[in-house]
Amino acid sequence: MRTTHVGSYPKIPDLPAPGRWRTAAEKLQRGQIGPEEFRRVEDEVTLEAIADQVGAGLDLVTDGQIRWEDPQTYFARCLQGFSINGLQRWFDTNVYYRQPVAEGPVSWREPITVQDYRFARAHSAKPVKPVLTGPYTLSRLSQNRHYPHFGDFVLSLARALNQELRALDAESPPVVQVDEPALLQHKDDLPLFREAMAVLLEGVRSPVMLYTYFGDARGVLGALADLPVQGVGLDFVAGPRNWEVLESEGFPAGWRLGFGVLDARNTRLETVDEVLRALERLVRFVSLDRVDLGPTAGLEFLPRRAAKAKLVRLVEVKRAALEVTR
Amino acid sequence: MSELPLFPTTTVGSFPKPPYLLEARRKRLRGQLEPEELRRLEERATREWIQRQEELGLDVFVDGEMYRGDMVAYFADELEGFAIAGLVRSYGNRYYPKPVVVGPVGRKRPITVGWFRFAQSLTGKPVKGMLTGPYTIAEWSFNEYYPTRRELVLELARAIHEEAVDLERAGARFIQIDEPALHTRPEEDFELAREAMEIVTDGLSAYTITHVCYGDVPRIYPKMLELPVRQIDLALKNEDFALLEVFRKHPFTKDIGLGVIDVHSHRVETTEEVLDGIRRSLEVFEPQQVYVSPDCGLKTRTIEEAAGKLHSMVEGARRAREELRSPTRAG
Repeated sequence: MRTTHVGSYPKIPDLPAPGRWRTAAEKLQRGQIGPEEFRRVEDEVTLEAIADQVGAGLDLVTDGQIRWEDPQTYFARCLQGFSINGLQRWFDTNVYYRQPVAEGPVSWREPITVQDYRFARAHSAKPVKPVLTGPYTLSRLSQNRHYPHFGDFVLSLARALNQELRALDAESPPVVQVDEPALLQHKDDLPLFREAMAVLLEGVRSPVMLYTYFGDARGVLGALADLPVQGVGLDFVAGPRNWEVLESEGFPAGWRLGFGVLDARNTRLETVDEVLRALERLVRFVSLDRVDLGPTAGLEFLPRRAAKAKLVRLVEVKRAALEVTR
Repeated sequence: MSELPLFPTTTVGSFPKPPYLLEARRKRLRGQLEPEELRRLEERATREWIQRQEELGLDVFVDGEMYRGDMVAYFADELEGFAIAGLVRSYGNRYYPKPVVVGPVGRKRPITVGWFRFAQSLTGKPVKGMLTGPYTIAEWSFNEYYPTRRELVLELARAIHEEAVDLERAGARFIQIDEPALHTRPEEDFELAREAMEIVTDGLSAYTITHVCYGDVPRIYPKMLELPVRQIDLALKNEDFALLEVFRKHPFTKDIGLGVIDVHSHRVETTEEVLDGIRRSLEVFEPQQVYVSPDCGLKTRTIEEAAGKLHSMVEGARRAREELRSPTRAG
């Protein structure tokens, strides 16, 4: 079993510590500092996010997505063909994102995540996992003013992000996480989604974990089993029906499961016992050596103290689970 | 109190705080100012806003919420069972203090009633009682105590109901219960939000309003009309009245709080723009259904911008009234 984070980490510490990132972002907006100085602050905060994960004892960490304005803008602003529009609610959360708009053909220009991945890897004592927003989710959350058919938009984005994945390949990451939460809200699009995944993963050598959250994978999990991925991430808090999915559709043989069991959207800290019981239930479907134990989603929904407590809890659960199985 | 004119003008709740009050709130946070001194400045700012509303000629007043920070954290601070978990990012570099439910929620004592009485004592115009709705308080808080969201929402509804009853006893003829989170999870939660609103407004004789802003209104329309309130106040201006098309298909059976002022733009709308907005709305509403207001609270604008926008709004409503009286002049 591996313990892993699945994405974002709070950019500012709890009060009364000063929120350097927030102050710097304000200064950048007012033109009081330049992009280079802002990047230095992002570097420092990224190191804090990595230090909290490594300090907690996680096996696999992320860079905390400190440089991500939101999971859409971070990619769309670097791709050809997008403008960035007004605020939209991000799924059923109280977090808002700026909506990308496809104004023309979308395509890949240059690496988006590679430099950030290199920085994180160079400063982490534990392996780092780069994260990508998948083409289906990115198109679903964007406005399409260019393509006559939504499917064309999705597949063009899949081609663009395929180039990003290939650029990451050269860095030999241990695994790449591709986030596709929007699939769960649009299960009718499964054929299109499969087509997009085929384009996205073509010629990619790095292992890829496909992550979903904010819902359950009923009706789609079984149909994804032949995708060339290492496994899938499922959210068992917002999607308690994922238990029934395991019962009825089984878990694809040989896959890893990103077991989203600590609620990333609530400060309530799950007890070690409660997570151990969930793991006991899980081993009927997946063996523990194929489990990536993590929060249900990125942790930026929480104040930093609560986010850190969740990370520490993951490691405590793993330790207790090893005791039990010894 | 006098009868309201056609197209009564009102606002959604918050006004910008004057610089001296912002400074005082900062000092209070750092422990450099006594609570009594802060209270004195909050009263001063409230008086100024009541005076400004008189000068602008609004019909239904608000106290301006000089004593509130965040619309949810304010109630969480005053209710039993809450703590503040910390700052959470909403978007960009905007953070808000997110409350957490740590025990049974309930009302310790009246929350807004004292401020309502104070504001109402300063004017002959009706002042609205302003509350945040139970669904929104629950949705914008963490929950470490209740096993289900439903239990939390309904318990909060009972607490907010007590507050509404006390406001009515204190003389409030208008009570507004804001539910901006209403369309977060509409398929799953609308019925719960409706049930909660039923508890809040149960037995009230005051004119009840709910304000729902932005988000996907078409997704909860016409279901939204089942909310047990007399008026629903909506943001129309910021999408250039696109919502009117939705109401054309299925008639709007309540009074409408017609948002005719974009609160997110620095630009002060002209009187003609407001007049045009009201005219367009009359294609789908009866004149008697329409209250005129900004899209949302004005607290993020400067005092000058807010006053300028409200001046245009009041003038626009006045001209709309004149047009109806002498239709030939409408052109």
